[in-house]
Amino acid sequence: MRKLARGVPPKLARGLLFIALAAILPLVVHDGGFVNFLTDAGAYVLLALGLNIVVGFAGLLDLGYAAFFAIGSYAYAMLASPQFGIHIPFWIMLFLASGIAALFGILLGAPTLRLRGDYLAIVTLGFGEIVPQTFLNLPQWTGGPNGLGNLDQPVFFGYRFGFNILPYYYVMLVLIVLAVVVAQNLRDSRLGRAWIAIREDELAAKHVGINTTTTKLAAFALGASFSGLAGVAYGAKLQLVSPDQFQFSVSVAILSMLVLGGMGNITGVILGSILISSLDRLILPQASNLIFALAHVRVDLSNSRFLIYGAILVLTMLLRPEGLLPNRRRRAELHAGTAEAMP
Amino acid sequence: MSLIAQQIVNGLALGGIYALIALGYTMVFGIIELINFAHGDVYTLGTFFSLAILGLLGATGELHGPFLIVAVVVTLVLAMVLSGLVGVIIERLAYRPLRNAPRLAPLITAIGVSFILQNLMIYWHGPSPLPFPQILPNPTYAIGPVQIAAKQAFVIVLAVVLMIVLQLFVTKTKLGAAMRATAQDRDAARLMGIDVNATIALTFFIGSALAGAAGFVSGVYYGTTWFFNGFAAGLKAFTAAVLGGIGNIAGAMLGGFAIGLVESLTTQLLSDQWSNIVVFALLVVVLIFRPTGLLGESLPTKA
Amino acid sequence: MRSSSLALALALLLAACSSPASAPAGNTVKIGMDFPLSGAEAAVGQPIANGAILAIEQANAAGFAGGKFKIEADTLDDTTQGLHDPAQGAQNAKTLIGDPAVLAIIGPYNSNVAKAEIPLTNDAQLAQLSPAATADSLTIGDGAKALRQSHPDLVTFFRTCTRDSEQGAALAHFAQTLHLWHVFIVDDNETYGLDLADAFAASAKSDGLTVLGHEHLAAHQQDFKALLTKIAAAHPDLVFFGGVTTTGGALLRRQMPDAGLGNVPFFGGDGIASDDFLKTAGAAADGTYWTIAAPDVNRLGSAREFVAAYRKRFKSEPIGYSAAAYTATQIALAAIAKGIGSDGTLPARATVVADVAATKGFSSPIGIVGFDANGDTTAPVLTLQHVKAAKIETVDVYTVK
Repeated sequence: MRKLARGVPPKLARGLLFIALAAILPLVVHDGGFVNFLTDAGAYVLLALGLNIVVGFAGLLDLGYAAFFAIGSYAYAMLASPQFGIHIPFWIMLFLASGIAALFGILLGAPTLRLRGDYLAIVTLGFGEIVPQTFLNLPQWTGGPNGLGNLDQPVFFGYRFGFNILPYYYVMLVLIVLAVVVAQNLRDSRLGRAWIAIREDELAAKHVGINTTTTKLAAFALGASFSGLAGVAYGAKLQLVSPDQFQFSVSVAILSMLVLGGMGNITGVILGSILISSLDRLILPQASNLIFALAHVRVDLSNSRFLIYGAILVLTMLLRPEGLLPNRRRRAELHAGTAEAMP
Repeated sequence: MSLIAQQIVNGLALGGIYALIALGYTMVFGIIELINFAHGDVYTLGTFFSLAILGLLGATGELHGPFLIVAVVVTLVLAMVLSGLVGVIIERLAYRPLRNAPRLAPLITAIGVSFILQNLMIYWHGPSPLPFPQILPNPTYAIGPVQIAAKQAFVIVLAVVLMIVLQLFVTKTKLGAAMRATAQDRDAARLMGIDVNATIALTFFIGSALAGAAGFVSGVYYGTTWFFNGFAAGLKAFTAAVLGGIGNIAGAMLGGFAIGLVESLTTQLLSDQWSNIVVFALLVVVLIFRPTGLLGESLPTKA
Repeated sequence: MRSSSLALALALLLAACSSPASAPAGNTVKIGMDFPLSGAEAAVGQPIANGAILAIEQANAAGFAGGKFKIEADTLDDTTQGLHDPAQGAQNAKTLIGDPAVLAIIGPYNSNVAKAEIPLTNDAQLAQLSPAATADSLTIGDGAKALRQSHPDLVTFFRTCTRDSEQGAALAHFAQTLHLWHVFIVDDNETYGLDLADAFAASAKSDGLTVLGHEHLAAHQQDFKALLTKIAAAHPDLVFFGGVTTTGGALLRRQMPDAGLGNVPFFGGDGIASDDFLKTAGAAADGTYWTIAAPDVNRLGSAREFVAAYRKRFKSEPIGYSAAAYTATQIALAAIAKGIGSDGTLPARATVVADVAATKGFSSPIGIVGFDANGDTTAPVLTLQHVKAAKIETVDVYTVK
């Protein structure tokens, strides 16, 4: 890698620049709603980074990732709220919920070890349905459809977070930076290379001595741990958790973020995540106003959100299936595929 | 005991609908290894088409005699054809360009298509559930301890008949052989002179037509329809296809009936709210211990 | 380089989307609205929002505060991916709070979304009126106080609908008067449906009824044959449904005759009180009873006017909650109008809250409305209606004590 004169690699410099920009953004843009949106989007960035480990790095198609988000969120809701009278501090919950989610990652991943590609996807889809519906059906533990509310707000050396969005924003930023660093290190590590190996040819990987069982379980566990972080941060900010937040459509959205941004590529995943979040929470709700601003035509689009969202997914996949910022390896894999003559 | 027997009849009727939808999933997966998430919405479209056709025929209440037969046949056939065409169009526009893309791409596209179809149905009939004319007279027949309603018999019989027709088509006709060949090895099939694109399109047509039939049947059976029906039904029908063995027609039928039975019996013996969870848990268990499904899968051979 | 130009484009796009904190254009008053406007709940969310919009349009047409001010509706959708989302509700609340021209919020529909929004509107001392969030814990009990984190003693959340516990109790009492001693309860396992069913179950027991069973539906259920077979085997005198038309109310009723339960009365709350239910359940709708949290629209002149105006404006039928939304908006507008200073300055948000809280004897399409100390309506009138020969008839009108 070429280094700048000062010895700082260009990628790192870019990363630091983005962090700096992100850090001063809320101080410059005085729109509370927008900063709130970015914080929520940040939780989804964490989720996308986590899923990226499972799907992007290790090639394990997980269609039910929302289940881990649910586990992380409910862990916080049960251990830091009036529900059982347990009030573990936010900062400790971040570690604890990650661990719990990782544990479930192993539990839910274990049955899938022998399954190939799409069967794995189906089983994870099944879990994605089972977990939130089970939470729904156990009201004594989880509050049922009402969920759990009045979750504890984080306290930082005596300062209680309250309703100001800024502290949550910065916590989310720190978590994202942490997640990116961990993901990059994983990617470049021996484990990361093992993931690439099992993704490209599992049988060959086994023959080279890679323990596919532990490698796959590691992917599930580490991927799930990120959702533990996301669940705690999101729950603490919303101060509420309910089963409606973990439907299949959430798993689809996170997957779309990966595919849109470029699976396996960390920057791509972050980009894809922010784009889909923007679409869902910023652009589509304001679609009518946006069109009015651009074309001065009043169109009522409230009945068309699904259509627009679906159309965007379809068009993106048709025009650029490898994602906006494709991973170099993946691009090679893709081109190997298209080298075959079309029927 | 007759209560359990009754629930078995309920389960078989429900399962018949799942089976018809599952057939489409299994055929498409068997030939291009795609989980067609939009399939469930084609099922709902089938009900919407049937509603429109019945409206054109002026059939609003119970029908009798020859008019009943004409109405059923005409609506069923037209709904199937229209649904089949929808399937072919979707395949051509949204899936064919991605045939060599990474697996996730057509999957996401399928989900996108599902959203689009749902929204189109909202445009068509609005976001609320709507009634479907109860055209079938519904006397109950007592067979031993069990009461079977004419509507339930209709669902089960139609599902079985269509499956038999499909099985005959696939095993006894040249087109069917082309489908099997393409499913087994696409390149070899092409070398044998089979028009692979057309064969895949045919597969989608048939699969979607069956979903359309399921849609008609469901409209008659439940008396209502709603744009969002396809989501849950599709998911469970897909579970049924996997349960029976992906790519396997008899498997899809078996899986469909099995899932219907599991749902009904869970509702009776445990509670309605757990029925979904038990179905999915069953899916997980079967896939862990018998990944190829109950009747074994039928998929392209991998080098 | 590609990624940075993409990032730049993204930043510009996001900047364009973010709503700048607009300085209050002196003569515009905004009423924020937060409802599920797309996806599965649009069938309910749209008509409710329409009721509120109608109130605003009528006020503008009549010249608000002597024609000096114009009212704008800032309508936001709290669904994500077609389902109500508390986080999106919180986001919307923050957006509305951040706009100084917004002096009141009407909404939300779903009680979970309300739980995410009340702490925020309470913190901002912004009046929030809901026409349809009926969970008890939003206004009474420790749960309600805990929601008012910033100002525990200041009630900023009001509702023009009756609480679930009151509806459930009224329905149980009515079942008792009809001598329907054995009841089977079904609910859709969502906030409103479950709350209502539980309220009914509790009151039923204390009224001497026997609850034969209480089942919760699985998500997105279409086939009720197995459940109805199970219910029929218990020989109930009455089947109670907690939930709305789209989560199974109409479908359940439609399939009851096939299970031999066609002659068994079917009770529900205002979640099924609509022409949609009638249409979808078809012939099976007969024998259904429900309560609506409003007086009979046919007995009140003002309600008839509302229904006619709604039909004319939106070319569709209003639902029970539409009138509640209309009323809530009228109350908010009245409070704002009251607070306008002689020099034409708009009132502060806290003043609007105080004026809304002080509402008493307000004449509306749903009757004479006021708010008690908890923010609940002081006239929890329930009308019990009955579907007979494909028509809706009023059986009785209660005022809940």
